[in-house]
Amino acid sequence: MRPVVILSNRLVQLFFVSHLTLHHHHSGFSNDPSGEMAPTPSPVDGFPTLTSRSQAETEQVLLKHLPEPGAKDEPILQKTSHMQFLVRNLVQGFPARYISQDASQPWLMFWTVQAFSVLQVALDPANKQRIIDKVMAWQHPGGGFGGGPGQAAHLLPTYAAVCTLAIVGRPGPRGGWDQIDREQMYKFFLSLKQKDGSFLVAHHSEVDVRGIYCLLTVATLLDLLTPELVEGTAAFIASCQTYEGGFASSSLPSYSLAGPILPSPAPRPPLGEAHGGYTFCALASWVLLQSYIVQSREKPTIDLKNLLRWLVHMQGTEVELGGFKGRTNKLVDGCYSWWCGGAFGLLEALGVGGLQNAESDEVPIDTGFGKVKALQEYILYAGQHQLEACATNLPIGTKLTHRNADASIVAQHHVFPSNVRKHQLLEAWQPSKCDTPLTNLTMTHTEVMAAHFYGQQIPARVRQTGSTNGNA
Amino acid sequence: MSTETPDDEPLYANRSDWKDIEPLEQYEDINPLAPIFYTEEYKDATSYFRAIVKSGEKSPRVLDLTESIIRQNPAHYSAWQYRYETLLALLPSTDVASSPILEAEVRLMDELAVLFLKTYQVWHHRRLLVSLTRQPKRELDFIKKGLEADAKNYHTWSYRQWLLGSFAGRGASVTDGVEDVDEDLWIGELDFVDSMLAQDVRNNSAWHHRFFVVWGCGVRDGDEDRERVLKRELIYAKQNISLAPSNPSAWNYIRGILSQTHTPFSVVADFALPYAHSRGAYHTKEIVDLENPPPTETAQLPCVQAMEFMADVWENEGGEEKTEQAVKMWTSLANEHDTIRKKYWEHRIRVAHLALRGQKKVA
Repeated sequence: MRPVVILSNRLVQLFFVSHLTLHHHHSGFSNDPSGEMAPTPSPVDGFPTLTSRSQAETEQVLLKHLPEPGAKDEPILQKTSHMQFLVRNLVQGFPARYISQDASQPWLMFWTVQAFSVLQVALDPANKQRIIDKVMAWQHPGGGFGGGPGQAAHLLPTYAAVCTLAIVGRPGPRGGWDQIDREQMYKFFLSLKQKDGSFLVAHHSEVDVRGIYCLLTVATLLDLLTPELVEGTAAFIASCQTYEGGFASSSLPSYSLAGPILPSPAPRPPLGEAHGGYTFCALASWVLLQSYIVQSREKPTIDLKNLLRWLVHMQGTEVELGGFKGRTNKLVDGCYSWWCGGAFGLLEALGVGGLQNAESDEVPIDTGFGKVKALQEYILYAGQHQLEACATNLPIGTKLTHRNADASIVAQHHVFPSNVRKHQLLEAWQPSKCDTPLTNLTMTHTEVMAAHFYGQQIPARVRQTGSTNGNA
Repeated sequence: MSTETPDDEPLYANRSDWKDIEPLEQYEDINPLAPIFYTEEYKDATSYFRAIVKSGEKSPRVLDLTESIIRQNPAHYSAWQYRYETLLALLPSTDVASSPILEAEVRLMDELAVLFLKTYQVWHHRRLLVSLTRQPKRELDFIKKGLEADAKNYHTWSYRQWLLGSFAGRGASVTDGVEDVDEDLWIGELDFVDSMLAQDVRNNSAWHHRFFVVWGCGVRDGDEDRERVLKRELIYAKQNISLAPSNPSAWNYIRGILSQTHTPFSVVADFALPYAHSRGAYHTKEIVDLENPPPTETAQLPCVQAMEFMADVWENEGGEEKTEQAVKMWTSLANEHDTIRKKYWEHRIRVAHLALRGQKKVA
């Protein structure tokens, strides 16, 4: 699925229309001016190191997935085999090595049902009910959801559980939505809040922007966002941006080990280098917090120009089949197609790139910065196979995550503010305090769940005839 | 605290010292989809864990149980969390730092970290422990060993930065109103980064750490002259670029420190220019300039990062002539040398042209 971006402020505001299109693969591969079919390997400058050796090995593996010169068949998404994989997981279950994912049961479920959603396959009511019942067994009496029954509440499984309910749940008895204990969840969120605006992901656990993204998405869907909850959070996120332009997992606490806030100016350097996964979470959180940032006293900022630069440089070259890496000088991997590739959609929401870059008369009608065709080729050629280079050292659950991320990206689309939709929604909206979500869910799932929790009626969307930007 | 594997131990269901506990099934009333096929040992241990959590027991046998679970599934964050709470309950109220329970825990963690390097929880638990032991120096040594095995481990590097920032930085711990700073912890840190980069000049985690040490977390002793520090760091980065020019880590570092110090990119233009051209297209000086080492014989030119850098230099200088030089460079990148980023380079061209138009209007 694609990121759905909804900007908000105190009064009810913008909704973005997702322009769902499945890009058809176009024949032809790289724009190699020399006319050779084999793309140029990454330069080593006669100075090999472990990084360059590892890179060269990966490029060798990726080359095997290049189409033969003169091949006419376009790569296709092997929908059937993906479906078989998903159904097998759902019905038969997971083998013993998935014990490593026992604390991530909500993720296994979310990735599975979300992938069904992307592949546009519906689940029958009986199985939906079984999923709802399983999800509700993960809810913790103290608020939030854990990775399994009896496990401690944690922000990440909370996101996965709530998003699973967005896909398979419904209002009313046994529907899941109305059985979520919102009050307890809010208390749970507050109990994790730190003095520097960050949140622990669980009691006694780590601080990082993944947790913040998960919390903000859930709080937005369930109408739990308040100024009290997000005080200082935007400033914390801003402090996670590194000199490279991307975001790190967290920053140095501005409160001491013993507890008290340090006298200002206490340095708050980012901890860890710029990373694709953390960057997505930080940027998505930033978008979700826009209304608060705009109204806050301190008005924290992030360097969008440097972020854009870093993001575009995360795309691999033709020899890497245009896939994305997660950090400078590391290897491309399917999951970063989502974290980094997806981040471009978020940037568009903040006015960087895409159709909004329309002051200039030189703007082509195009689909944004990431070279989408190349990215799709990477996923369809390399991502659908056992890719040795990225499979090493990765936990078992990764294959399912990667499959989910890859599927989301193949269904690429662009997100931009639609004035028509905005107008429709403003007309229909009853004033109330609210903020709106940015999720890895379909527009429909998001709107319907949010409508329920905000007590609103969403008007039907009128389908436009003919495509608006020329893409089939 | 047993070091035997779960296979050697009897199931908790068969242990006499656990017979007072009734194990709890995971899913009681429902027939869940997507089950995991647990081993008997794992199912047994986690069923007892659920029972213990429900009762709230915090005893030494709980340390055994949680250790067993952690060894089978190091990502079981609830087991880690409950273990930590149990430790806290078992520790004495005074002189915590030298408690034998804590010491034993640290030793156990040394053993487990080697097995489970890539797990969040193993590293976070160390953070919790060092906050109690207040022995950061030993952690620095441990981290060094960890990085020998896995030179780019994200958790390891960010833990090192947290450790330095919390115990040695200006943002150091404050106990009873007294700052507990140990600035000596910084000694040897630059040497450490040097050794990591000598092993692999393309290790971006090491470059990031260098930025943290020099620029990100206060001023080191002896580094008060920031201009001198900048000069030193620029030479360092340039020398590493001359070894392997197409190394985005080194270029990002240069860009980062120039931005941090509000120094124009043009300060490094003389150095970058030869790297931005094909061999022979640019006449290099006869005299070797140690501050601006030229590309070696084996460097693959032009270097894309250098081309980008020069375009930025010219764009910043502004005016019609310089802007067109930048546009030419971006065009070359878009059409020949960095085609995957074609749209980005075209964006840069548009933005520069817009800016030029804006300048003309004002003029």
